Amino acid sequence: MTMAQESETHLPGSYQRLRADGQYRVGAEPTTIAFNHIGKRGERRVDGYEKATGKALYTRDMVLPGMLFARVMRCPYAHARIKQMDTRSAEALPGVRAIIRYDDPEVKGRALNGSYFAQGWARPKLAGWALKPVHLVLADEGWHEGQPMGVVIAADTEAIAEQALRLVRVEWEELPFVLDQEDALKPDAPVLRPGATSNEIHDPRKTFKFGDVEKGFQEADRVIEFQARRRAHLWAGAEMPSVLVRWLDGRMELWVHEQQPYHAKQLLAEWLDIGMDQITMNTVYQGCSFGGRGNPANHSENGMNILATLLSKRTGRPIKMLYDRRDTFFGESGDIATSYFKVGFKNDGTITAVQMKNIFAVYVAATGVDHLVENTKIPNLSCEAIPVDVSIGPAWWARCEHLPSCLSLTLVFDHVAAELGMDPIEVALKNDGNHGHDVSYLLQYMREHGFPERDSLKECIEIGKRAIGWDEKWHQPGARKLPNGKLHGIAFTWDHNWDDSRGTGSAAVMIENDGSVNIIGQHVDIGPNPWTPLCQIVADEIGVPFESVHIKPWTLDTGFALMSPDGSANLVANGAIVRKAAQKARRMLLELAAEVFEVACPEELDIQNGAIFVKADPGRTKTIRQVVTKAMPMHCSGAFWTQPPVLAWAWHAQGIWGQADETGRPRLCRQAHFMEVEVDPDTGQVDVTRVVNVNDVGKAVSPEAVEGQMYGGTILGVSRGLIEEMVWDPRTGVLLNGNLLDYKYATALDCGPIDTCFIETGLGHGPYGTCGIGEATPTIIPALLSPAVYNAIGKWVDDFPITPEKVLQALGKI
Amino acid sequence: MHNIATDVATHSVESLTLSDNVIRLIINDEIHQLRVEPDWTLHYLIHDRLGLTGTKTFCDRGACGSCTVILDGRPVLSCMTLAIECDGKRVETIEGIAAKQHPLIDTYVKHHAMQCGYCTPGFIVTAKALLDRNPDPTDEETRQALAGNLCRCGTYPQHPTAVREAAQILRKG
Repeated sequence: MTMAQESETHLPGSYQRLRADGQYRVGAEPTTIAFNHIGKRGERRVDGYEKATGKALYTRDMVLPGMLFARVMRCPYAHARIKQMDTRSAEALPGVRAIIRYDDPEVKGRALNGSYFAQGWARPKLAGWALKPVHLVLADEGWHEGQPMGVVIAADTEAIAEQALRLVRVEWEELPFVLDQEDALKPDAPVLRPGATSNEIHDPRKTFKFGDVEKGFQEADRVIEFQARRRAHLWAGAEMPSVLVRWLDGRMELWVHEQQPYHAKQLLAEWLDIGMDQITMNTVYQGCSFGGRGNPANHSENGMNILATLLSKRTGRPIKMLYDRRDTFFGESGDIATSYFKVGFKNDGTITAVQMKNIFAVYVAATGVDHLVENTKIPNLSCEAIPVDVSIGPAWWARCEHLPSCLSLTLVFDHVAAELGMDPIEVALKNDGNHGHDVSYLLQYMREHGFPERDSLKECIEIGKRAIGWDEKWHQPGARKLPNGKLHGIAFTWDHNWDDSRGTGSAAVMIENDGSVNIIGQHVDIGPNPWTPLCQIVADEIGVPFESVHIKPWTLDTGFALMSPDGSANLVANGAIVRKAAQKARRMLLELAAEVFEVACPEELDIQNGAIFVKADPGRTKTIRQVVTKAMPMHCSGAFWTQPPVLAWAWHAQGIWGQADETGRPRLCRQAHFMEVEVDPDTGQVDVTRVVNVNDVGKAVSPEAVEGQMYGGTILGVSRGLIEEMVWDPRTGVLLNGNLLDYKYATALDCGPIDTCFIETGLGHGPYGTCGIGEATPTIIPALLSPAVYNAIGKWVDDFPITPEKVLQALGKI
Repeated sequence: MHNIATDVATHSVESLTLSDNVIRLIINDEIHQLRVEPDWTLHYLIHDRLGLTGTKTFCDRGACGSCTVILDGRPVLSCMTLAIECDGKRVETIEGIAAKQHPLIDTYVKHHAMQCGYCTPGFIVTAKALLDRNPDPTDEETRQALAGNLCRCGTYPQHPTAVREAAQILRKG
């Protein structure tokens, strides 16, 4: 059976319909245009001026006349219940305009909505998977410190709202808590989630089995076991959450800090029981979230929107609800897990079986085995993933939920290489593949689906090896002491995921009456530099100068909404959307031009650099302005209005909703990452002195945007693997470092030079062969610290972050 | 009291006896006479009261540099500075730097030294203060100068390129 047949067999019904309609297809799409702006360096970044000059307005900056400020109470204990609450002193404070209590009728017993997933609208098998609405909008019991609960207050100023919160007298009943995920599974552990019988989040328990691991261990020459831990890190995006709401007696408008405004609108309308048409939802610039504000069901989004709306209803005034920095430390924690590995392998480095068990704290997504499945030919895999409630805020993913999967991939093959004393690159290439198949499976897929048949992983590795000097520098563990007394370490890892992932969206392209071009479609910039590449695509697809294309991303109510990268894809989805819309608009323009030029059909015409001309007689030319002047949306005199406006919209579904194993479609992305460290054997300090990222990006629409993603991903990855850690007091369960002075993350001095290398083979499923770049690097890089430190000191420190203390312990010095 | 009016050629104020809680600031070369509460930070005054929203709040605790302004020639964290203590001082914000078409604006745009852009004004203000005192900083000096500014998008490697190119433009006049 060919893979094409296999993918048809497994294609979900909705995608079969999309395919029949021509809306969805699998395979490379031939490029039909010449690249003038796509791929060109030096195009002026479209959002650059506003951002550099401080003129860019973010949600936090927005104000409305007469607006009040709102703050919500937070649980001061790791687990506690309100026995009694007296709000009279707060109500009496001058400047307090409204107080909503947990026992008020608007909120009593009412939960957050939950997400699409939780309600099972999109994927019934994910229903309930830790995304269900476990929190009340205003609870009387908090099962982690910092949980929004009790009371929300609107006042003339933020300071008065804060003061009023301090005046609320609460009689608390403190309850037992548990912080560690393995402790929480013990029989005597207190059960945290109200109404639950155990702390294990059962619904569903995730297990994965592929092949026969017992058989794989029997076939192995050697079997090793090891364990790893990841402590808590969090997103802590630049802009603290806020929302501005104006209730208008049944209608409302709001300015949100949301990654998925359309979902947020849907959830809010449902909770309030009003029509979606009654809600005008605006977005402005947003401080980066990279997924961190990608769950519109979280209290920091759904709950905040609801509470601000209820306060606006009560007061008749606009409400601006704000989180402070400490508030962002609850409910944004990243992956926290204890992992157990058993790996069987042959003496030549071929891995025959991997068995894993991951115990996650409040985690919600991957099992942790996924990248071993999608990136290797390992024939026998099994993984048990146990998510557990503990007394810390609910997790949500940011760059990205596959942190545990990347950790597994890197640790498994690097431990095998270490046991055998082999170069890890050899072990990686020996096990490279997809879903138990070797690389020939990938190459066959590429051949059958119109992609260039080219194994670019080897190319990426060669580029990276040369850049970092691998052949000269790689050494046996602990074998190289530098003249400065530090121990040198060097490491490598690779990955195949993040090609085009998934996403749907819509946008319109309109050619204005002066010949300039607008991309119309609400879109949230969460940090990946998304808009310049879209303008480059539209410019080339229509045939106009880059400078004449602009994007209007603020208003959801145009009816068009580009995909925000909740599905781990940005340009691959949105690029396809705007390309389609631009192609349609170009067709409309040429049809109009055919009349103006008095030629038989639009095919006789072409557009280049903003000029329309007759192909057979290039001297016959007109500007776009001369042609579209007849086509306009409105005019005061009907005599001028002879043609409809040149406006075309398109919708597009990119990627597969879900993962490759649903369809048999392998992911096409190749990347190799290299790192050098210096470890001080006296202090345990690890310095990252060099990182080399090599990506086959398929096609770099904006080279600067690609490099920005690699730089940013590396910095974040190093920060997570080496520095970031939330620390709770074990006696009280209270977070000790809920601010950015005590919770450190990387500065300009915390990572050495980064080489960003990319090749462009057109291997991606996205437009022009693009594949994902933004999410991969920060998800892969943290794990790379472990083999780098191992290569330096000859001991494994598989406990992240790799702090000086752990290094010294590994060296036997403390 | 220092007569701040003499510092600015195009503006003048009459010498008034200021009442309690009233301060005078020159913000981006414009004179402001402002009544402030004792607990207002300079950031609150600039961002929330005057609407100069380019000065951002990110950490709210003196850790991130996004609220940086230049106060009498030195970069300071406006979220950690009380407005009432700034009487008679000269404040330069990102809006003032942009209005004078400082080359940093263009070099930051050109080199994509930003992602979401939220922290970008704070970096540029800090970089401007660096170039005011060091017209030809090395990469290392630039990194050191910007080490107090946090960027969650991780744009750090692009900044020295943008800052040093702006320095070169300034040196050429």
